[in-house]
Amino acid sequence: MSARAVGVRIENLTKSFGDKVALRDVSLDMAPGTFTVLLGPSGSGKTTLLRCLAGIERPTSGAITLGEQLVVGPRAFVTPDKRHLAMVFQDYALWPHLTVARNVGFPLEGTELNKADRVAKVTNLLTRVGIERLADRYPNELSGGEQQRVALARALAADVGLLLFDEPLSNLDADRREGLRIEIATLARETGATVVYITHDQAEAFALADVVGVLNHGVVEQWATPEVVYQAPASPFVARFTGLAGEVPVRVLSESGGRARVQCLLATPYEIDDCPTRAVAGSEATLFVRPSAVTLNEASFSDGLPAIVEDSAFIGRGYEHVVTIDATCRLTKIFSRRRFPRGSEVRITFDPSGVYVMKDE
Amino acid sequence: MNLQKKIPPRAHRIKWSGMVLWLILGFLVIIPVTVFLFAAVSPRFLRVGPQWFTLHSIGEAFTGYTGRGIMDSLLVSTTVGILATSAATTLAWLVHRTTLYGARIIGGMMWVLLLIPTWMMTIGWTNLIMPGELATAFGLNTVHLYHAFYGPAGIILILTTAALPFCYFVISAGLRGLGSEFEDAARVHGAGLRRTLTTVLPIIAPALLSAFAIAFAESISDFGVAFTLGANTHFPMATFTLFNAITANPANFSVAAVIAAVLILCTVPPIMLQSRVTRGRSYAVLGARTRSVRRYSFTPVRRIVVSVATFAVLIVLTILPLVASIATSFTRTISFETRTGIHWSTLSYHNIFSPPPSIMSLGSGLWMSNQLGVYVASGTVVLAYVLARRLASTRGGASQRIADVFLLGSVAVPGVVLGVGYILFYNQAIIANHVISLYQTMPLLVMGLIASAAPGQSRLLIGPVSQIQSSMAESARVHGAGRWRTWRTASLPLLSRTLTWAWVLTFTKTISELAVAQMLLVPGHEPVSVIIETTLGTVFAPIGSAATVMVLAEMLGVIIVVLGVYRIVTPKGWRRIGEVGSLR
Repeated sequence: MSARAVGVRIENLTKSFGDKVALRDVSLDMAPGTFTVLLGPSGSGKTTLLRCLAGIERPTSGAITLGEQLVVGPRAFVTPDKRHLAMVFQDYALWPHLTVARNVGFPLEGTELNKADRVAKVTNLLTRVGIERLADRYPNELSGGEQQRVALARALAADVGLLLFDEPLSNLDADRREGLRIEIATLARETGATVVYITHDQAEAFALADVVGVLNHGVVEQWATPEVVYQAPASPFVARFTGLAGEVPVRVLSESGGRARVQCLLATPYEIDDCPTRAVAGSEATLFVRPSAVTLNEASFSDGLPAIVEDSAFIGRGYEHVVTIDATCRLTKIFSRRRFPRGSEVRITFDPSGVYVMKDE
Repeated sequence: MNLQKKIPPRAHRIKWSGMVLWLILGFLVIIPVTVFLFAAVSPRFLRVGPQWFTLHSIGEAFTGYTGRGIMDSLLVSTTVGILATSAATTLAWLVHRTTLYGARIIGGMMWVLLLIPTWMMTIGWTNLIMPGELATAFGLNTVHLYHAFYGPAGIILILTTAALPFCYFVISAGLRGLGSEFEDAARVHGAGLRRTLTTVLPIIAPALLSAFAIAFAESISDFGVAFTLGANTHFPMATFTLFNAITANPANFSVAAVIAAVLILCTVPPIMLQSRVTRGRSYAVLGARTRSVRRYSFTPVRRIVVSVATFAVLIVLTILPLVASIATSFTRTISFETRTGIHWSTLSYHNIFSPPPSIMSLGSGLWMSNQLGVYVASGTVVLAYVLARRLASTRGGASQRIADVFLLGSVAVPGVVLGVGYILFYNQAIIANHVISLYQTMPLLVMGLIASAAPGQSRLLIGPVSQIQSSMAESARVHGAGRWRTWRTASLPLLSRTLTWAWVLTFTKTISELAVAQMLLVPGHEPVSVIIETTLGTVFAPIGSAATVMVLAEMLGVIIVVLGVYRIVTPKGWRRIGEVGSLR
């Protein structure tokens, strides 16, 4: 693979459908060769953004530059076929009347490669994605996973500098998702191309991304590495969408250098020190708790908030628990190697590195 | 319990539904037509000639005038098939995939076009461009155009215009179910507009081939143009030479039967082609996950140019001949413009309901035709749907292929052949005296009209039916729905619009149908088409025009009522399938 990665610059991009605004003044800068994941719920505008990059949608205003080429601007709009990119569609979009080999070879037709070279390249690609035996089949004769591999091979065929993925794993079962996710990551990175990948699954996003962009209502709420998004979410929405055990109301007792000492506003007074924060001392705020930040202890443990185990579920390497504090505050997905029975009393403690204090919206 | 024991295979069941279907088809089409075709080699069997066995008629049919008629028909039908399919594809794409101005009106114009029978369209064009008629009144010299019209060009023009709406509706149904992701995928992977079209259009190959097959079969079996234009231009068409053979004195049923057989056989290659392209592959693209399509945006200037050009062509094809007919119906002179000017009058409209005593009034015929329309349209839609499902099934074997070949062949059975077949079969003494006496009864006329309409309608329906993903019905079944509820909740909503259009189409075609109606009519209960052609139309040209205009208006009224009722009684979701515009 010899793709020359291109940088992607998006400036003040807005896209409206009638009076509905799908993207609102979005600006992003993606370095060549990065694997960017756009994360957001349905209707957040991530698909629209991807389709604007592909040239399938024409933005209402703003600019997009791919490498040195301005593809969208006040006086410019480059059609999809002139953008030198490839895309894996959510529904695969394989042409049903073409064989697997012809679907994969589609981007190569009309290039300077001769037929023998094209055939060799298609065979090589099919081998790489593990479906060389299916070359003469038609899409309707393939499973969902096989169809997705064909779509992946087609996207890799043209050696483009920008690869777009539109929720490629959303139609697959869990086993296949995991396997194919690794393959996509490996193959896409091997090409050296810049990758823009959209998903609504935060685990998938964190596993794949060099940079994550979290979208909400057409606005990019955070643009950072997965680690930063996880440890310092830019907004309550980002915190919630990227996985929380729960939320606890707190008062900020003191704050210094972005670290705070907070008191939980629950029946049992409890203080947590050294929490990362954007709230000011004396204010009321919310403690956003990641599942990994909570530890379950025996009821006899000297420290921690008293809680009741509401549910426990075996997940192979241990148990996931749901607990309630004061019958009003619930924390979920709390892992422990040992099982705490339903209804039992426990004490919970918090690791400050897995919590974040900020004002709720 | 011995779990090693093999689960026994499903008990073999006799497929009664299939048997009943073939029995119906047998009495509707297969037996009467086969009996007629048998006359080609054994005229004595049907008492229409002296020989028990002869091949002489075959040689005779392929020589001279009749031979030329067969070649002319093949040439014209192939040309019409290609032209109509290409034009309909372009039009459907403009309407469903671009921001063309007035796109919604085009569907209505197609219906107007569909309403006009070919014989009426020929009269309309004649009223328009014949020297002394409407064009002359506008100062246009149309002598050359008129001479060109009376030749192959005119025949191809009329038949292409007549086939255009059939093709348009079939291809539109295909395009509606086709999400834009296939186009997007092609564009993103480097295809320009032309390559995108050549990549995506084959996905609706079933619809395209259906359109070609219908246009070809409709043209090769058309009698109206062959009779009006072909006969006057020394460009004989097979249906006209067939008619000549039957009406000659003495009648030559054997040669007519050979021509009929050739017409039917000519339709086999298109169906074979369709079968070859579609077999073993799934073109099912209409399902729950199908996304709304995105329209191609023209630049403002191009949008205006394309819209104006499209409507100009459609107005010339649809409105002008219609206007010419309407204008003629409001005159009281032989030609539109006379030396003393144009003489407007509504007298013709009065005369069609109060004609001279020896002439039949339009009123009773109109009532009879509407009754026939309801019976025939209802029966045809049910039969055509069952056939379309059978043809669309991927599990079908030899039975499906036979049905497929049979159906397309049936489309090509000219009405006049069906009529002769019915008379020869149902009027045989052994049938009439010992089985059932149907000759010159309303049920036989209804049967003949259903037989004439069902094959074409089933081919129209096969496109939409084959695009419904099997998962739609499967999901209903696994969620506890029986066969009927599955059909009602999973298939009917997706097909309701198509079935409604099929009903309306059959209704209107039944009212304007002439060949079968004329041969199988019940004396004293003549349908409107027969009254216009054989009595009212022969009195005075403006009276005939007034009668046809009145019938057209009535048919239009019925369409508006039926579609209005459809809109009121169907849930909103049924009508949103394939609609455009969604926020992703």
